[in-house]
Amino acid sequence: MSMKPLCVKLSVQPSRGLVDEKFTVLVQNLLPGFQLTVHALHQCEDGHSWEAFAHYTTDATGTVNVSQDPSLDGTYSGVEPMGLLWSLRPVPGSKSGLRMRKMNVQTPMVVTISVYQGHQMEGFLDRVSLASVVVERWYMAPGVRRVPITDGKLTATLFLPSGAGPFPGLLDLWGRGGKLVEYRAALLASHGIASMALDYLTPQITKETGKMVDNDYFETAYRVLEQHPQILGSRIAMLGLSFGTSVTLRMAVYSQDVKLSCAVCISGSHVQPIGGSVEQILAYFNRNADKTRFDENNQVIWRDLLLPIPTDPSLKVDMGGLQCPLLLVVGEDDQNWPAHECAMDMKEMMERAGNSHLLTVLSYKNAGHLIEPPFMPFARASTFKTVTNPPTKVMALWGGELVAHSRAQEDAWRKMLVFLRENLYGGMKHGASFSNL
Amino acid sequence: MIPCYTVQRNLACIQRTVGGVRWTSSCRPAPLLTASPVRALIDDKISIRGHFLPPRCPVTVCAQMQSDDGDLWEAFAHFNTNSDGTVNLTRDPSVGGSYLGCEPMGLLWGLQPAPGAREGLRQAEKKKVETPYVMLMSLLKGHVSPSERPSTELAAVTAERWYMAPGVRRIEIRQNGVVGTLFLPPGPGPFPAMLDLWGMGGGLVEYRSALFASRGYASFSLAYIGHKDLPGPQNLINVGDPYYKSAFQLLQDHPQVYPDRIGIIGLSFGVYLALRLASHSGIKPSCLICINGPAGSTIKLADADGRTEQTENDQKYWTYDDQGNVSFRAVSLPANLSPESKVKLEHLTCPLMYIVGEDDLSASSVENANLIEETLSAAGKSQLLTRLSYPGAGHLIEPPYTPNSRASLWSVKPQKLVTLWGGHLAPHAAAQEDSWKKILEFMETNLRH
Repeated sequence: MSMKPLCVKLSVQPSRGLVDEKFTVLVQNLLPGFQLTVHALHQCEDGHSWEAFAHYTTDATGTVNVSQDPSLDGTYSGVEPMGLLWSLRPVPGSKSGLRMRKMNVQTPMVVTISVYQGHQMEGFLDRVSLASVVVERWYMAPGVRRVPITDGKLTATLFLPSGAGPFPGLLDLWGRGGKLVEYRAALLASHGIASMALDYLTPQITKETGKMVDNDYFETAYRVLEQHPQILGSRIAMLGLSFGTSVTLRMAVYSQDVKLSCAVCISGSHVQPIGGSVEQILAYFNRNADKTRFDENNQVIWRDLLLPIPTDPSLKVDMGGLQCPLLLVVGEDDQNWPAHECAMDMKEMMERAGNSHLLTVLSYKNAGHLIEPPFMPFARASTFKTVTNPPTKVMALWGGELVAHSRAQEDAWRKMLVFLRENLYGGMKHGASFSNL
Repeated sequence: MIPCYTVQRNLACIQRTVGGVRWTSSCRPAPLLTASPVRALIDDKISIRGHFLPPRCPVTVCAQMQSDDGDLWEAFAHFNTNSDGTVNLTRDPSVGGSYLGCEPMGLLWGLQPAPGAREGLRQAEKKKVETPYVMLMSLLKGHVSPSERPSTELAAVTAERWYMAPGVRRIEIRQNGVVGTLFLPPGPGPFPAMLDLWGMGGGLVEYRSALFASRGYASFSLAYIGHKDLPGPQNLINVGDPYYKSAFQLLQDHPQVYPDRIGIIGLSFGVYLALRLASHSGIKPSCLICINGPAGSTIKLADADGRTEQTENDQKYWTYDDQGNVSFRAVSLPANLSPESKVKLEHLTCPLMYIVGEDDLSASSVENANLIEETLSAAGKSQLLTRLSYPGAGHLIEPPYTPNSRASLWSVKPQKLVTLWGGHLAPHAAAQEDSWKKILEFMETNLRH
């Protein structure tokens, strides 16, 4: 039966939100029992189109509330308030191995949410929707300031929360893909933490001299935070993902200059030749390159390069020497690093040393390597370009299963913010338990 | 003074006065001020909360906003945190400041020009609707007023308030002699639509249309006086019935507008234009919304089409208060309206909502509402009329959560004149909130079903 489109009301609240904020998608004024498809479309910065969709049937009041009603089929099923975002996938015909990452954080991610009549599976762009709205998802809250940092030969960007401050600080490190990736630091600043995204594998200084940076680079970054007039020098944290964990742990335990209030390590390891430079640590990993495996799709599995976890203490960060609270976030299906095994080993080391009260481990079944801020689309594998010379491009298998990984991201991010707020905004003495996590 | 802040770290002071002092740990995290949503539409409610404060302590929440012209507007409210150290503007009453009592949006409609601002400002009338208002909100220690800075700022948050939702399209229209701006919602359409008419202040006022489009209606703001793209001297209405008909037809002909689902909204003189268009011209709008305006022309008409003569002829009806501020109210008393201009409301065929601010000092709204009610009743059409009447509300009943000015600068030549709009702060704000909700419901009923 034909439905006069002028009646149907589609709304998404809020229409402008932060990327880690939930929204409510509401479809109203249709007949009861009406079959419809809710569709999300996003064109990312490099021009690729991503879509998600779900099938619903209106209730007795002619309404669908995506936060409360189950999707019957689509790119997600069941009751999933944010499924339209985390189940986004490249449209049919796209290149393989895509991963969505926003590089310009000063503009929002724009998503078009539409309602189509019937339970559709494909061909959305050729149909006329019943209604359509546009939603903006922002990495930067209003008033957050983006400050490029070049002092001390750093390649970094500092994000300051809105207001006079002073604010606690955070050093934000990504992994072996290199580049200056700003979005997580921008989001943390939106939560009140002055955060510096640091490029340490492909910074300007390495491009100019051909030499990799070492400890003094990170100590300089820490000092820039500590001395900033709007940052509380005594409240600085470090956050590292993947190889960023290696740097974070080494700084936290061994650096004389870096005094962290707390650290967050995601999908990483404590295995490294202690006393080695960044370059030497990378070389150590590559020494085991023959342990590289490939799955049935020829995707690269690198998790074995660090296994078995050495017993030689000179090959692991001395976790007993850690003096600040540490949050470890790992996915049990991580195919890129043996993060879960390393977390268990770190826990054991700390129990033996008597400082395990500092440790909190969040371990997620069926989550993969790239545990990122929530509601971002999931990639089980994607093309990865190493920062070696010459660089190699592979299809890296990150691991994880769509729904479990998306839930893990949401849960981990929430707990990370609680952990950071508790440790950076003061309050508890070191070692207090985070039973509210 | 309750000494509860001696335990509280005084972050800003320590940092500034004794540089390098370590932040010693204390009993609780630092205060936090949140606003949700942090990017909202003008008619969205915002939840403003303070957290991690000492219990039962005095705090001030302060809001600052800069208008497009660079004027600073301010509001503040005094609270006492409750036993769990929070303040929540949706729950807690203000005990002093720009407003009193529990008013979730009081910091927004209570905004007043900051001390030192230009005099006679009208409520921040946003000219650029494509950019948001940026609101700086801060949480201050104690019961203070903003001019007492530097008081201790405990926390701050920045919020944005938008007239345009993402995806709304703004289209300048200069077509068939018609001067206006069209706002279209996102999506394929077609959409029900509104023709949007303002008062003798003239120019092109876009923000109400932008909001309608953000709520799913195509909306067309139309200029008819005081705009450089209109013919003739800018202080006269040089356009007549054919002009308004063209504007309505422009909407009907638009491929993304439902031709038989178009309503008209008018404020002040725009009410007369809306009523005239609906009763005289053969146009059949689906509904009419009239706010504080006359049922006949307040200006002598120059011709049958509604063009006018000099507006100064009505000066004999102007009244002045002790400060020399002028009220135009008596100009639109039914007895003073030119008889041949009185709209033949008995020809009305569509629902009409008439909104009255009972403290309107610029138009005789109560009297005109009565006249409309009597005329419709006599014609057996009283079922068409919905009348909303708001005690304490003034002339400029606009979209909600925006401040009202009781008076503002009207002209500088030939002499400086400040005109009275009327309206008291809190009742006017309540009228805007309630009437906007009812306007949207009225549009939903008449344009979507």
